[in-house]
Order: sequence, then structure tokens, then C-alpha cells
Amino acid sequence: MEYPFWDVPLLGGGMLIGIIAILHVFVAHFAIGSGLFLVLSEIRARRTGDEALLGYLKRHSTFFILVALVFGAISGVGIWWAIGLVHPSATSALIHIFVWAWAIEWVFFIVELLAAFIYYYGWNRLDPRTHIRVGWIYLAGAWLSLFMINGILTFMLTPGKWVETRSIVDAFFNPSMLPSLVVRTAVAVALAGLYALITASAEADESLRERVVKYASKWVLVGMTVIPIGGIWYISRIPDQAREISMGGAPVVTLFAAASVVFSAFVFLATLAGPFLFPRRFHVTFAFVIVALGLVTTGVTEWVREAVRKPYIIYDYMYSNAVRTEDVQNVWERGVLASAKWSLLDEQDKQDLLRMGEKVFRFHCQSCHTVNGFNGIKFAVKGWKKDFIDMQLQNLDQLKGYMPPFLGTEEERKALTEWLYSLNNPVEVQQAASR
Amino acid sequence: MPVVIPPPDPAGLPAPAWLLQILLVFTFILHILAMNLLVGGTTIMAIGLRKGKHSPFHAELAKRLSRALPVVMSFTITLGIAPLLFVQVLYGQAFYTASILMAWPWLSVVALVLLAYYGLYLVQFRPDWLGRWVTPIAWMSALFILLVGLLYTHNATLKLTPEKWAPMYDASPAGLHLNWSEPTLIPRYLHFMVAAFAVAGLGIALLGLLARKRGDSWGDEAVRYGAKWFIGATLVQLGVGLWFLFSLPSNFLQSFIGGNTVNTVVLWAGVLAAVLGLLLVNRSLPGAVLLTVVAITLMSVTRHSLRQMYLQPHIDVNTIPVNPQWGVFIIFAVLLVIGLATVGWMVWQFYQAGEPKQAAASQ
Ligand code: HEM
Repeated sequence: MEYPFWDVPLLGGGMLIGIIAILHVFVAHFAIGSGLFLVLSEIRARRTGDEALLGYLKRHSTFFILVALVFGAISGVGIWWAIGLVHPSATSALIHIFVWAWAIEWVFFIVELLAAFIYYYGWNRLDPRTHIRVGWIYLAGAWLSLFMINGILTFMLTPGKWVETRSIVDAFFNPSMLPSLVVRTAVAVALAGLYALITASAEADESLRERVVKYASKWVLVGMTVIPIGGIWYISRIPDQAREISMGGAPVVTLFAAASVVFSAFVFLATLAGPFLFPRRFHVTFAFVIVALGLVTTGVTEWVREAVRKPYIIYDYMYSNAVRTEDVQNVWERGVLASAKWSLLDEQDKQDLLRMGEKVFRFHCQSCHTVNGFNGIKFAVKGWKKDFIDMQLQNLDQLKGYMPPFLGTEEERKALTEWLYSLNNPVEVQQAASR
Repeated sequence: MPVVIPPPDPAGLPAPAWLLQILLVFTFILHILAMNLLVGGTTIMAIGLRKGKHSPFHAELAKRLSRALPVVMSFTITLGIAPLLFVQVLYGQAFYTASILMAWPWLSVVALVLLAYYGLYLVQFRPDWLGRWVTPIAWMSALFILLVGLLYTHNATLKLTPEKWAPMYDASPAGLHLNWSEPTLIPRYLHFMVAAFAVAGLGIALLGLLARKRGDSWGDEAVRYGAKWFIGATLVQLGVGLWFLFSLPSNFLQSFIGGNTVNTVVLWAGVLAAVLGLLLVNRSLPGAVLLTVVAITLMSVTRHSLRQMYLQPHIDVNTIPVNPQWGVFIIFAVLLVIGLATVGWMVWQFYQAGEPKQAAASQ
């Protein structure tokens, strides 16, 4: 409402965030889990004097640095870039509510980063005890960063008591924070094993390869077993409406929720039937197949997690189209275009319903819909008569629980109806104009 | 066309504006120091890779830089996150709006940083595999990093000029604008980049000094070579700085040449510190480093005062309501101390342990 709206054609801003976020999540959890993987494995290798395993861990940590520290860190910054561009009001809210939580996260991130570098460059330099200690510090920094981010992310779906108290403690320790932390920690463990399957399967020494493949597969299996337990707990904590959306309320979301379960099962079964039972025959191609399955699982799950929050971007506080719940009355009285200063409404717009309708769409709908791409409105209203469009707009939130109420004035609704109709009926509109 | 300014966030500021401003400027200084080493270092490494074909000194310099730069990159990014947070807290109204207008170029910063970073790692880890592609890859990283700096200056200057926003957005909501029409853009950008070569020169001279202490004769030449960059860049800076100053709108210019005492003193004290550093560099390197840090600090304060002046008619952070969250702030402060102590302990362990006992893990 308060900021200019960035028009991302076809893809839509939400999808753009999604792409960056999914890649980031898939790498960042690996970065955290690998802390545990590296330290525990190093302890084991040192205790048993297993030089071969130690050699593998050194090679694995190069891969870890290149993937986790570079791609993980920068894609994380990338999410921040993208949400600020696509959802400035919500980003601003998250920044302002959680400034010091972000600042604390930054401290943990610095510790994490430095520890990772020193762990990596210290393999042949530090004595084993110090090296392992640095590994633990890395793990602590990484997991505490997750702890911080997790509190902020879960807040968006379950702000809990914050809605009344406006206290950062309530915001952070919100109802779904703990279950989500359990799920994410388990995901981190599973992904640590998943990525280790790649590096393990590329090892030249056959007996080492077999050992590490088997070992890494256990990490995947343990993580994947804990995820559903935490998941059920998590689902019990989210708002009723969010649960309904994922279980029949919105067919596409339900489909994706089902896909998330199915793909998780695939990852589990593929790991069990492949690297766990037959580590000797395990091949790097198979490793990539499991990783791809893991990526798909992450993708659909994250997508569902985002989708069930509709119609809000921050539950009970701000709708997806950046209208704050407390401003609903105000916007409804003044209209969308008068409230959205960046619509830059001028005389020409006021005289041209189609121009006006397009602007209403941009500032009231386009944060979730594109015109003719992803979730394209053109396809949604195909075959609809004007009366029907108008009726839908009047009852938007009642008909579709995952959409915010339409807050435009009568004139704006009429304009939007005309514009929506014109998307699939350009000729008739032209005729109408000439009449 | 009206000037449209988004309202401040209804949550208010989580601490008094002065504290947030200090944090912003302080963390910005840290970011800019690392950024300087990165920009200058990467370019000088690319030059060194070429010259290194005939000169062992340059080959060695490029090698040492290639080992340090990925870490410097990581620092630049990490130290950039803090001012990014505080700039959004204080100036979100301007920051989001300007960024949205140049959304695609702005988003490309992330991709450019990523590619430049991987380029640096390639040069460090796989120079043999790259063969004659080493130098081009190093140049790619250098150019991308220089381009990121330019995009930053586009963003920073666009933030300061709210009058431009509405006409730009009216022309197109696609997020493809840049701020080329801004008269201060080029001098401002050059001002940052020339400084980067001076600071990186000092960095190389320091590397040389450390090497010399270990009895490594490479150090002597590095000290001289680094100082040469520092002196050359700083001399150029005298011209570029003046160009930047005189490209400012005249009322702002006035405030720096007597119109406002504090502004004038801070700016010219900064210039003085840089000039003294210039005179001192061949006698006392640590002295020159110290003076340069002082100069950068004063310049960063000047940059902040300039921002306040630009935004004054539209955005005044001192009028935003404050809802302090002291409890969490104290937790942050305590954790910062613990975090820095932990980092200090690790770095100390690392240096104490001395050079690798075998070939480094990376080789
Ligand atoms: C890696 C290449 C980078 C380079 C060359 C670079 C360069 C610069 C330059 C030249 C400026 C000053 C712009 C001006 O005032 O005209 C600047 C400001 C800034 N940089 Fe960076 N930067 C880099 C990466 C980053 C990253 C990754 C972040 C964030 C994570 C970041 C955060 C910031 C912030 C927040 C400011 C502005 C602070 C303020 O307005 O007070 N930078 N940077």
C-alpha cells in the first residue's frame, strides 16, 4: 500500500522470492547440519586413528566451504534483497519488530563464519583438540543463527500474543517456534547426510567410500525420521484456517502438501534401498538423484508453508497485499487508489475505467497474482461475465478464504471489473468504447 | 508530479535515533574498510597475475592476495549486513522505494557478488586447472566487484532524491531505472573506488611489513609497491574529492566550506588526515594506516551529514516515535562482546599455531 509496487512480469515477485528462498533453505540447513557432521565424524576419526576418514573429512570440508559459506551466505542476503523489493511493508515490519533479534543473529553469523574459516584453514595447523573445539563453536554459531531466524519466520504465521502485547518476547517465542525449530534441526541433520553422500560417492578408495556412504545414509534416515514427528507437532500449532487450506480448503495447496509427504517418503526409501543397504554399489549419479528428490521436497514444503499463510503475509497483522488489519476500515472508506499513494492517480486515470482498473489490480491484487503468468488473473477470470466478476469481487474473502477482502470503492470495483473482463474480451471492450 | 514519501513504519524505532545512527555509521565504516581491500585487492591481483609472468615479485603478490581475498570478500559481505539492517530501520522509507525503482539492477548485485566470489575461489584453488584463464577470471571478479560498487552508488544517490521517485515510477513500474541523471553519481563513485586503491595499497604494504618481520625479503618490495599505490591513489583523490564536493547542490557545498562549522571541520579534518598519511607513509606505515582510518571515519560521518541534509525536507529520523527495546538491546550488546571474544580466541589460536604443518588443506 505504502510503497511502489514492483511489477515482475510472468513470474511474479512471490515466485522470485520462492526460487531464491528454496535454494537458500536447501543449502543453509546443510551448512548447519554439516557442523555436527564434521565435528562428530572428526572426533570419531581421531579417536580410532582413522586417517582415511580424516582425509575424507578434509575434502568434504572444501566442498562445504564452497557451497555453504559462499552460496549459503549470499543466497541468504539474496532473500533479504528480494523480500525488500517485493514486500517492502512486511519487510519493514519484520525489521522494525525484530531489530535486535536480527542484530543478535548477525553476531552469531560472524562467529559461525569465522569458525568455519578457521576450522577449514586449521586442519593441518591447529592441534586436534583446538580444531575440534573450533568445530563445536561453528556448530553453536550456525545453530544459534537458525534459532534466531526460526523465531522470526514462525512469527509470520503464528504471531500469537504479540498481536495484543506488541512485545518482542511474545513475537519471538511464538506458538509454532519450538516445533519448527525441531523440524529445521532435523532437516539440517538429514541434509548434512544427503550432501555427504555426494562427496562420499566421489571418493576413490573403495572401502572408504563404502564406509562413508553407509555412515552418511544413517544421517539422512535419522533426520528424515524426526521430521514428521516435529511436523505433526508443528501442524497442531498453526492457525485453524492454515490447516484447512492445506487439507482440502485450497486444492492446489493440498496437492502440494501431499507432494511434500510423498517426496519425503521417496527420499527416505531411496536412501534406505540405496546407500544404506547397498553402500558398495552406490554411485554418484544416484547421490544426485536423492539430492534432487531432497530439493523437490524442500521446494514443495516451503511453498506450502508460505501458501497456508494466505490471506496474510503476517498473520492477523498484515494482508498479503500489504493492507494492515488495523487499516482495513480506513482503506475501505477512502478506497484503494486514494490509500495507495504510489498509484499516482491522475485525471486521465479517473476518466478511463480500464486504466483505473489496472491500477487497482496492481496495488490490491498483484502481490499474489500476475496478469498472464504464474497464478495469472487472466486465466482465473476466463469465461466470466461482468456480473459474475463483480459478484466475486464483492465477496472475495468469503468465497475464497485465502484471499483478503476487496476494499475498493464502488467505482474502483467497477473499474477493476471492466479491466478484468477486458483481459479475455478485448474486442468487445473496444466496441463498447466506440459506442 | 507530487513528491510521494512512504510513511515511517508504525512500529517506530527500537532505540533512540542517535544510537541507531551511530551504529549505522560505525558498521558502515567497517564495511567500507573491508570493501576497499576487496576492490583494490582484486584489481591489483588481476594486474599482478599478468605482470607476474615476467616478475617473481608480482607472481608472489598475486598468490598471496589470492589466498586472502575470499576471506576479505566474506568480511565485506558480513560487515555489510549490519549497516543494511540499520539503514532499513532508519531510512526504510527511502531505501525500499529507491531499491524498487532499480529493482532488477539492484537484485543483480546478489548475482554479481556470487559470481565474483566463486571467481576468487577459482583463482585461489585451481590456478593450474584454469591455465591461461586465471587472469581473465580474476578480471571478471574485479569488474563485477567494481560494478557492484557502482550499483551501490546508484542506489545510495537515488535514496537521497525523493523528488525523482514519482516521475520515475510513473514512467515504468518494471524496476529498470538507474540514476544516471544524477550529477554527483560519477564523482561520488570514483571517490569511493579511488579510496579503495589507496587502502588496498596500505594493505599490501602491511603484508610486506609482516613478511619482512619474518625475514622474508619479498616484504621490502611489497612495502614499497603498496605505498606507491597508496600515494598515487591519494594524490588522484585530491582531485576527485574536490570534483565530488563541487558537484553537490550549492547549499550543501556551502555547508562544507564554512556554512556549517561542524560539517566544515569534520570534512577538512578528514582531508588533512589523508594528506598527513600521505606524508607519513614512507616513514611510519602504522602511522599512515591510523591516519587513513581516521580519514575514512571522518569521511563516513560527512557522508552521513550529507544524507541528513538531502533528506531533511522529507524524512527526519529524529521525529519518528521511539519504542525502545532496551532488554533485547542489552542481550545483543552482551552477546556481541561474547561473540567478539570467541572470535578473538579462535584467531589467536590460529596465529599461535603458526604455519601449516603439512601442505594446506586447500592444495
Ligand atoms: C562485494 C562487493 C561490494 C562492494 C564493492 C560494495 C561497495 C559499497 C559502496 C561503494 C558503498 C557506498 C555507496 C555510496 O554511498 O555511494 C556501499 C554502501 C553500502 N554497502 Fe556495500 N558493497 C559490497 C557489498 C555489500 C553487501 C553484500 C552488503 C550487504 C550485505 C553491503 C551493504 C552496504 C550498505 C548497507 C551500504 C550503505 C550504508 C548506508 O547507506 O549508510 N555491501 N557499498
